[in-house]
Amino acid sequence: MKRSKIIIYVLVVLLFSFSFTHAHPIEIRILHLNDFHGFAEPYKPLGSDLRVGGLPYLATRVKELRQEKPTLLLSAGDMIQGNNWANLFYGESVIEWMNEMKFDAMVLGNHEFDFGQEVLRKRISEATFPFLGANVNGLNDILPYIIKELTGIKIAIIGIVTEDVPLSTHPRNVVGLKFTSPIETVRKIVETLKNNVDVILVLSHIGFSGDRVLAEKVKGIDVIVGGHSHTKIERPQKVGNTLIVQAWEHGKALGVLDLTLKDRRILEGKGHLEEIRPERGREDRATSMIVKKYEERMNAILNEKIGEAEVDLDGENVRRRETNLGNFISDMMRRVSGAEVTLINGGGIRSSIRRGEVRVKDVYSALPFDNYIVAIKLTGRQIQEALEHGVSGVEDEEGRFPQVSGFTFKYSPSEKKGSRVKEIRISGQPIGLDQEYVVATNDFLAAGGDGYKVFGEAIRSSKDFAIIGGMMKGEKVVYSHSGKWLRDVVVDTIKDMKKIFSEVEGRILETR
Amino acid sequence: MKVYVNQEPVDVLPGMTVRHALLSAGLLGEVETFLKAYDEWGNELGLGGALSDGMKIYVHPVRKSSTF
Repeated sequence: MKRSKIIIYVLVVLLFSFSFTHAHPIEIRILHLNDFHGFAEPYKPLGSDLRVGGLPYLATRVKELRQEKPTLLLSAGDMIQGNNWANLFYGESVIEWMNEMKFDAMVLGNHEFDFGQEVLRKRISEATFPFLGANVNGLNDILPYIIKELTGIKIAIIGIVTEDVPLSTHPRNVVGLKFTSPIETVRKIVETLKNNVDVILVLSHIGFSGDRVLAEKVKGIDVIVGGHSHTKIERPQKVGNTLIVQAWEHGKALGVLDLTLKDRRILEGKGHLEEIRPERGREDRATSMIVKKYEERMNAILNEKIGEAEVDLDGENVRRRETNLGNFISDMMRRVSGAEVTLINGGGIRSSIRRGEVRVKDVYSALPFDNYIVAIKLTGRQIQEALEHGVSGVEDEEGRFPQVSGFTFKYSPSEKKGSRVKEIRISGQPIGLDQEYVVATNDFLAAGGDGYKVFGEAIRSSKDFAIIGGMMKGEKVVYSHSGKWLRDVVVDTIKDMKKIFSEVEGRILETR
Repeated sequence: MKVYVNQEPVDVLPGMTVRHALLSAGLLGEVETFLKAYDEWGNELGLGGALSDGMKIYVHPVRKSSTF
């Protein structure tokens, strides 16, 4: 009698556990963020009067949504670089916040490499969550994938980053690293894991179009949580049996994906983006304290003395004549990029730096735009054309007026536009119109900003970008460092020089 | 790398973003005021978004179906 009771009891328990795990649907939630880039404070995006984003508000929403069902919080990369709140601390501020929020995992984005490998390793060591990068070879501190368990459901999270990292950061930041094909990498891991887990999720920093190709080519991926392309995917998009999600950029949205599983298979996936806006009284206290702490430190850094200017550096006349601040900045760009000459737009310089102590904020005021240094090969004829364009709006003090380094020229504003420039001399020699010169500039002009077309022509004719001898090379492009703003390069330069002096040297001579 | 903005080809460098593509196409000013950029599947793109070779970007007024 006693034995039969035990048997009945065991059968009931087995039946109950079977029905619990297999008959009843199980719901889990994935919260996701990508391409945050250090935007801790709410801000007004271009073309909008509304303030959006803000970490304290995002944190509140994460905590609320977590209460509702078993949840994973994931980041699809590009968290630690971008805005001052991140950059001035090399991303330490961001990691502190992510630790507070108890992120479950993050994949490396291309911009995680921008401060170099030593800094990246430090950030990884500070994190209480794993950094993933299955297709990154040579960085021992990261994992290819992890397996998390939520209410008995085993979820594999595989991390992949774009193969183009070496083309978008400074080559020294990726020395010794190899980035392999995301598709082949994921295919192998899926093959290994598919019988051991219930859900396969790829945490991807390859961009939405790449995610679609990945979903088409590798069967067995249930979910791709993406980043890199800053795509606002308002509802999950399905390619084959794979759901793809991505949550825009800068913490303006929080991605929410709810998965319903039955018999350890996904029955349904519903998702949306939660808009993040500042609302009084909705700030998460712990996050607010972190944001404020680093803002106070940020102000201290911006007020830090980095050197001394021995003369006033003129940033006010940059749209009508050569100035010593224009010379200082363009000389530095030439030196850093290894170019022969520099040509930048005076309009990129917004204020002067006064004689005496120079602080970080003085440089940031003079160079407020998120521009970086590019160096491109131009022919002498293209340089001449660029200069003609540059001086063609001098009467109206247009921002395209050039500031230059490595060469001199004369121009006459009384001549017809397009025929004003004379006597261009590079290193003292007359310019060779058919000769190629390496020209440093900023990414704004390289992309055709202020109407400069010659850089675009050179890019168009450049082929096959690759890392050769430790530098990014294209046929015409010899330097491009999108991960470091020009103003930060200037700050580093002034810190090294301690005392700075620059004068007008007759590089640009106006004639009548 | 070549991308297409409203079907017009634009050449950009690796590491450049949607903002650079729109600048090259002469459409950044419009996007800063009343238009937005979308991918070929109709998803809005952030200006800091990475580009990929052959990517198609469309610039047009805000989609009414957008929830925010």
